[in-house]
This record gives sequence, structure tokens and C-alpha cells, in this order.
Amino acid sequence: MIIETRNLTKTYEAGQEQVHALRGVDFQADAGDFVVINGPSGSGKTTFLNLLSCIDLPTQGEVLIEGQAVSQLASGSLAEVRRDKIGLVFQAFNLIPVLSTFENIEYPMLLKGVPPKERKEKVNQLLEEVDLVKEGSRRPDQLSGGQKQRVAVARALVNDPVLFLADEPTGNLDSKTSERIMDIMKRLNQNHKVTFIVVTHNLEVNEYAKRVVYIRDGQLTEEQKR
Amino acid sequence: MGLQFQIAMRNLFRNGRRTLLSLAIIALGTAMSFAVRGYVESSLTNIQAGIVQQNGNFQIASPLLFDNEAEGYEYLIFPEDVETIRMALSQYPEVVDVSMGLNFSGLASFGRRSKVLRGIATRPGNTALDYNDLVIEGEGLKPEDQGKVLIGQSLADERNLKPGDVFRVNLSTVDGAYNVGSLEVAGVFSLNSQQFEGQLIFVPIDYVQALLNTNGIGNLIIQLNDIEDSRRVADMVEGELQSMGLNLEARTWDELSEFYQQIKGFFNALFVFLTVAVSVLVFFIVLQVLTMAFLERTREVGTIRALGTKTNQVFFMFITEGVFLGVLGGLSGALLGWLISLGFNALNIGWTPPGALDPVPISITASLEVALVPFLVGLIATSFSALFPSLRSAKVNIVDALRTR
Repeated sequence: MIIETRNLTKTYEAGQEQVHALRGVDFQADAGDFVVINGPSGSGKTTFLNLLSCIDLPTQGEVLIEGQAVSQLASGSLAEVRRDKIGLVFQAFNLIPVLSTFENIEYPMLLKGVPPKERKEKVNQLLEEVDLVKEGSRRPDQLSGGQKQRVAVARALVNDPVLFLADEPTGNLDSKTSERIMDIMKRLNQNHKVTFIVVTHNLEVNEYAKRVVYIRDGQLTEEQKR
Repeated sequence: MGLQFQIAMRNLFRNGRRTLLSLAIIALGTAMSFAVRGYVESSLTNIQAGIVQQNGNFQIASPLLFDNEAEGYEYLIFPEDVETIRMALSQYPEVVDVSMGLNFSGLASFGRRSKVLRGIATRPGNTALDYNDLVIEGEGLKPEDQGKVLIGQSLADERNLKPGDVFRVNLSTVDGAYNVGSLEVAGVFSLNSQQFEGQLIFVPIDYVQALLNTNGIGNLIIQLNDIEDSRRVADMVEGELQSMGLNLEARTWDELSEFYQQIKGFFNALFVFLTVAVSVLVFFIVLQVLTMAFLERTREVGTIRALGTKTNQVFFMFITEGVFLGVLGGLSGALLGWLISLGFNALNIGWTPPGALDPVPISITASLEVALVPFLVGLIATSFSALFPSLRSAKVNIVDALRTR
């Protein structure tokens, strides 16, 4: 099992009130899974993804990645988990504006201390996989939305993570580009055997999933296997 | 770290206008500090040169003379000791000249009017402390001159004296007897000080000894090749003299001049005050600019933290940006200060200090040594400005940062 959550709970303080974003979620995903999490706005799906990606900590419960409980880890160790085991894609692409396409993809490898030759080979391979070989030296402001998201996908996979997490990856793209991005992600899921978890309210994305999980009022309500 | 360094550098030039504003502020502060330090340095060097010219690099004398505690002439050094000291000094290649000093006070008569004068013994022909180069009218003193004197221009004007005129001076000998000497004006000197020109007279040492009825001298004035050697050589010579049983001390030019210590303290205080004021100004303005610049990148910080960048790496990235800004600003400021000093020196501006008769040039020393402190001040003030926003950015909550628009 790649990732597991046990009784995952997240409560926010909003003035005098407590907002229960997640209410004891139990979830598991295996190697090579492609899970799509659907749910309406405010259902808790982004909170759930934030906890899975170790950028937020649960109020209660546990996240286990490859059997390792990560919620209690110190900030530095948690950063290493994100760097080595998780690839993240955001709705707004979140590329570093002062870096080229090549450098954006290379960045996580630099954090890991990968030697230059290996970095170059890996980035070039991913540029080919996402069909951006010609755009390697361009800055993000010279790329289209679809190209930016492909850079983000390549960046998320560059350190060979066990888990690929995407938050509304097609949210800022037109339907044709969305389809292309999802095709690429599906192909990469098959080629790299990485567990993909995609949070979206775009129901068309469900076609690419092996499993679709619905989240409502902070709880997983139903699951569809395809 | 390489790419993070690159990110820092590229971010620095991301908003050109803002970076230029920060650089201008740091550079102006640094240049201002440079100009003040250069002026202080130049003034102190001129004062130093004047003092060394008058007092030598160091002097050897009895502490009674140095501390003004003698009741009579009990501080005198006699020929056998003078010879011992000369032998000791001859071992030091740094020593270029040794002069003997003997001062006296006497009441000079000019017809029916009289005035207290301070006589300074000089050995005409000596390379050091040869006051002949100050002479502006008449002739300098020659080794064979007896009973001749150099007087200041103010005294000459005041008493209507000219070369060839003779006046009398009344004084006490070392054994307390009354003595009178006749002095013929050989030349008139200018020291650009009304007080000195009105009171000082330079008299050949042999004649002063004759007037005071002694073969002793008051002090030995030592000139060295390099002012930087003063303290070291003085200490070594003093140790040697004391080991020979002579109760004599060696005091350097700066110890002998209370005026120099006071003016140096004043100038240093002025420089420190101005530097602190400039640093505070630079600190707060650059802090404001960097805080804005870093705040705008909160979302980017959230992204790189989410990708696995550690807080210390984020801090390094931002502080690198601040330090690099400081280096650039400091270098530009030092260059600007250099240009300002060159331009200012070319204008040949002068002023007449209180008590002086002629204007003295105001100059700014431009050197790497002068540039170092202002450069460091610019760099440190900017680095401190970057510290708080860098820490704040490094510790940002990732989820909150990613929500920032």
C-alpha cells in the first residue's frame, strides 16, 4: 500500500466556531492506482489533498506513506517526504517565474542533490514525455496554460515519487487542453507505475480513473471502481 | 544551492525599478559615509604630518619634562647620556634623523615695550626640524650663526621687525642667574597660526645653551622613515634606555599632542554618528522595499516549500538576495563616493580655521581603506534589512501561502 489515512480529521477555528473540514476519513491507495476524488466546493477535498501531500497537518488521525506515519515528523523531515515521495500539481500551475521550463522541472532534483548529468538526462526524458522539448528554455510567461501544466506534471514526476497528487489540474484549462493533460497523466501513470490521486469537480476526469471517490461534508461517501 | 542562488539573483532584477530604488538608497548612504570618512582621513593625515614635522615621530626626555612637573631644569640630559642614546638609536635603520631640543621662555624687549616669547632651539642644517623651510622673508639659520633668530610673521608685523633688526631677551640660566642675550632677526617664518607666529622664536641650540649656561639638552627628537613604525621603535628604544639605567621615556607624536587626540576623538565621533544615522535610514527604507518584494512572492514560497524546499533553504534564498543587493549597493556607493571625492578635490576648496591666517585646502582622501568601512556599513545595513522579511518568508504556512493571490 502506498498511502493510507486513518480517522483523518481536520478542524479549523473560524472565530468562535469550529469548522469540521474532514471528519475521520479512512482511505487507502495502492501502487499504480489512479484515484479521482470528486466533491462539491467546500466538501473538504482540497483539505484532504493538503493532508495527503504533507503540506498541512491533521487535527487528529494519521497519514501513512509506504507505511510510515508522517504526521508527527519534524518540518525538515516532512519537507524530505514531500521532495522524495510526492509529486504535486496545482490548479494555477505554480511554476517559478524566473526559471526556464528546463529549470522548473530540474528544481526538485536540485533539492535532492542529484548530480548534473543525471538531472539533465531525466529532465530531457520528461520534456519528451510531455512533448515540450522545444520549450525547454522558455520562461513560464512564454508558455500557454496547457504547456505550463505539462511542465508542472513533469516537475511532479522528476524525483520518481510514489505518489502524484493533483488539485484541479484542469481547472484553468479549456476542454481540449484538459483532455490532453489527462491523457498525458494517464500515460505517465501507466508508464511510471506511480499512484495518481486527482482532486476535481470536473466529472469528465472520472473517465481516466481506476477508482472514483466522493467526498461530502468532510466524509468519504461512496466509491466507484472502474 | 546553485539554483536557489540563481533564483535569488534573478528575483533581484525581476522588478528593475524597485531594485534600482534600493540600490540608489544604499549607494547614496554609502557614498555619504565615504565622503565623510575620506574628509576625516585627509584632515587627520594633514594634522598628523604637521605634528610629526614639529615633534618628530617620537621624543626621548625625562618624564618631568613630558608631564610638565619640573620646577627648574632638572630634566636636562647631559652630553654623556646624549651620546649613549645616540649609540642606541644608531642600531635602528628606521631612524633617519635625531635632533636635540631645548626650550626656554624669556622676556623680549622692543624699545619700551616687552613681550614673553617661547624659544625653541634648532640645529641649523639638520635634515629634520630644520625650520628654515618656513622662512618667507630674510634668510634661514646657518650652522655658524650665533645670536641669530627666526621670528614669526605676526611678531614681525606687531613689533615692526625685519631681517637685520636686533632685540634683547631676558631670561634665567639653569642655575637661576639673570642673563640677557641679543638676538638678530635672520628671517621671518610663517606657520599659518597667529598664536604661534606671535610667540615662537627659533634660535640655534648652541646659543640657547650659552644663554641658559648649560651643556645639557631638554629632549631628543627622532624622525623615522615611516610614521607607522613610531610606536614600535619608541617602545624598543625606551626599553633599551631603561635597561641601561636611564630614567628617560620615549613618547610618540600622538602621545605628545593632546590636540591630535581631541580632534581625532571628535572626528571619529562625528563619523560614527553620521554612519549610524545613515545605516538606520538605509535599514528602514530597504526593509520596507524588501518586505514588499518578498510579500509579493508568498505564493512562490508556498510552491517551493510544497515541492520539498526546507525553511533554511528558503531563508538562504532570500537572505542571498538581500546580501547581493547590499554588495551591489555598497560597491556602487563606494564608486560614487570615489567620484565625489575626485570632483571635490578638483574644486580646490579651502577654509580658514580659527586662529589660522591663510585658508587650508579641504580634501577628501579616496582609497580602498577609506572605502572599506562605508562599503561594509551599506552591506551590513542591507543584510539586516533582509533578515526579518527572509525569516518571515521562510516560516510561512504553506497552505496559507498557496492561497495567496
